[in-house]
Amino acid sequence: MRKLELTKAAALAAAAAMMMSLSGCGGGSSDGGSASSEVTTAAASAGDDTVKVGLLHSLTGSMAISEKAVSDAEKLAISEINAAGGVLGKQIVFVEEDGASEPSTFATKAEKLIDGEKVTTIFGCWTSSSRKAVKPIVEDYGSLLWYPVQYEGMEASPNIVYTGAAPNQQIVPAIEYLIDKGYKKFFLLGSDYVFPRTANMIINAQVKAAGLEVVGEEYADMDQTDFAAIISKIEAAQPDVIINTLNGTGNVSFFKQMSEKNYTSKEYMTMSFSIAEEEVATIGANILQGHMVSWNYYQTTPGSVNEAFVSAYKAAYGENRVTSDPAEAAYDAVYLWKAACEKAGAFDTASVVAAIEAGGISFDAPEGTVTIQGDNHHLVKPVRIGEVGADGLINEVYATDPVAPDPYLATYDWAVAAGIQPLE
Amino acid sequence: MKLIKKQGDNICFSVIVLILAAMPLMLNAGMLSGSSTVLFLGKCIAFAVVAIGLDLIWGYTGILSLGHGLYFALGGYCMAMYLKLQQTNGQITDFMHIGGIETLPLVWRPFKYLPLTIILIVAVPSLVAFLVGYFMFKKRVKGVYFSIISQALTWAAYSIFIALSPYTNGNVGITEIKTVFGSIKGDANRANMFTLFYVSLAILVLVYALAKFLVSRKFGKLLVAIRDGENRTYFSGYNVSSYKTFIYVLSAAIAGIAGAVFVNFNGSITPSQMTIAYSITMVIWVAIGGRGTIIGAVIGAFLINLCEYNLSSGSMVEIWQYIIGAVFCITILFFKGGIVGIVRDQLPAFIGRLKNKKAVPAKEAAK
Repeated sequence: MRKLELTKAAALAAAAAMMMSLSGCGGGSSDGGSASSEVTTAAASAGDDTVKVGLLHSLTGSMAISEKAVSDAEKLAISEINAAGGVLGKQIVFVEEDGASEPSTFATKAEKLIDGEKVTTIFGCWTSSSRKAVKPIVEDYGSLLWYPVQYEGMEASPNIVYTGAAPNQQIVPAIEYLIDKGYKKFFLLGSDYVFPRTANMIINAQVKAAGLEVVGEEYADMDQTDFAAIISKIEAAQPDVIINTLNGTGNVSFFKQMSEKNYTSKEYMTMSFSIAEEEVATIGANILQGHMVSWNYYQTTPGSVNEAFVSAYKAAYGENRVTSDPAEAAYDAVYLWKAACEKAGAFDTASVVAAIEAGGISFDAPEGTVTIQGDNHHLVKPVRIGEVGADGLINEVYATDPVAPDPYLATYDWAVAAGIQPLE
Repeated sequence: MKLIKKQGDNICFSVIVLILAAMPLMLNAGMLSGSSTVLFLGKCIAFAVVAIGLDLIWGYTGILSLGHGLYFALGGYCMAMYLKLQQTNGQITDFMHIGGIETLPLVWRPFKYLPLTIILIVAVPSLVAFLVGYFMFKKRVKGVYFSIISQALTWAAYSIFIALSPYTNGNVGITEIKTVFGSIKGDANRANMFTLFYVSLAILVLVYALAKFLVSRKFGKLLVAIRDGENRTYFSGYNVSSYKTFIYVLSAAIAGIAGAVFVNFNGSITPSQMTIAYSITMVIWVAIGGRGTIIGAVIGAFLINLCEYNLSSGSMVEIWQYIIGAVFCITILFFKGGIVGIVRDQLPAFIGRLKNKKAVPAKEAAK
């Protein structure tokens, strides 16, 4: 009898405890949120000396290995700016959220940063799918995202600044360079997602307009490790050059299996758009030696600004770390945001975007001076074709003057003729 | 007291619903920092709904599906296709254009109409689940074999959705959509958000009530009988495979509804919602909350997601997955009944033991 009563009492107590933990957990989030909002409102009114920004990258999951370098570069820029006196006299504090390599988590966390943490701007994303998930959120809340990776173009959101290359600052010049060098038969190989598919649509139009031939187009799964079938298709097609838009682990398997067949850059030259210094280190410099890549920045890019950036990056994160194009573009993003805020004289999105759209926001970046083009929020930046050296670094073989961004390829007759422009 | 013992789970559920219902009011009163908390709780409601469906098949019937993300995503895609066509006024989308499609594909056409979409949100996952369930349960595929096949099917569907990128937009998924009630972002659209939130809450209550209704009837006893002794149930003259197929289809339909609710709050759907990892996460919610209790699924879904939401930032950012993993391991090793089990069985036993210990010295003193 007594036991029964005890059970009842315990059940009651435990149910109450459970409620507390549940509401406590929920309350925790709102408490944290309201506390932080007080900080920012206080900052706005009472002239507190900090400004809050958000970092939104995958720190776990399959993209973590790539996005860590980008997030590190952003933190480096923030600490440098803080050491030099901050932005408009305020020290930058950052809140870091994990996107967990999952687009809907990116969306949730973007909302949390903007609405809960009240950050003034977000530096984040890598994959196109994560950017597309965050885009409607920053647009609806009227916030600003700084996106640091080269991508497939066909986008120009008023609430995003794209500090990586547009297609005409990476893909198009690389193909032009190959055509100039006398390559005639192109083989397109990519991972099966939006960037390779869109890139290859552009390349197909460009190659055909030049009167040359695409002799094959193949897509591999994101995590494919067996490239035997694709390699035999390449052997059958006998291309002059393979245009490689594989991403992540696919590159490792593909190049290792090519080298097992003793194919080097002499037999099959490749031009890659997703292989930077970090990937060369993973795949092996001896395998990639002589192959070509196209970016806007290499660790070997000359100039004192880059020397300072590389040594600061190595000092902060270790001698064996390398700098790469996405990391550099992320580093630029923080400085460009600073420049935009200083021009606007304020931190709110409307003023900052107005300053950006008025034009002329620029930064002496490691890759050379970059300027935000006001009408499409992309950067004017130089293009560099590089060749992988024996030491694993990439040596520039050809460079252009700064190229104006054209995300929709509207200034290229062949692209317009091929109907590459999106709807609307 | 009797009421609490008998109706403890329903009381617990009512309290959860009341807390949720109060959230928008708290937001209006300025007690919450922003609407993101409410929107996040909206996603949690969707997770709780799918968890109830999983508990019906796993906790009650003993069918462990590691591929419920498939049904969740199918419902989500149905909803997202309708919402996308609302944005484009029934015209083709930009990804179809890039994929070389010039007129709206046949599979997209039903999603021009809301009533048809609502029917399909339930019908599409149900149909897939019926085909899967009918053949597997007829063949008496069970235990780990069923789990493995459910995983494989999910993986296959994931690959198909990525391969058919002109129709599904590949791994970017369907993005840039509003909700069935229009935009919910920003202060101006707060009324829309509240409508969506309360409709979702009503769906959660209805699904909970349906699940409770089913398991408290003879039907529920039969499900437990199938779980605990499938052959005996066969020999007792019940058509076990029909019961299993029915509950599996129902669970898939519930997952589809949950997916549709999720899309409204999330603003996008991608194939990553149908990955194996995502599906297993759902199973973890049920396991930690306590399976075979319905309320456990709801508690688990809310608790795990709230913890993830709050832990995966700031200084905890690199270790939060270890914490979730450790909690899961401890639950499975020491508390098989999950949170509900702790509260209902282990805690009373523990308190009982404490009381007994106190009672013994008292008796000795009396001597």
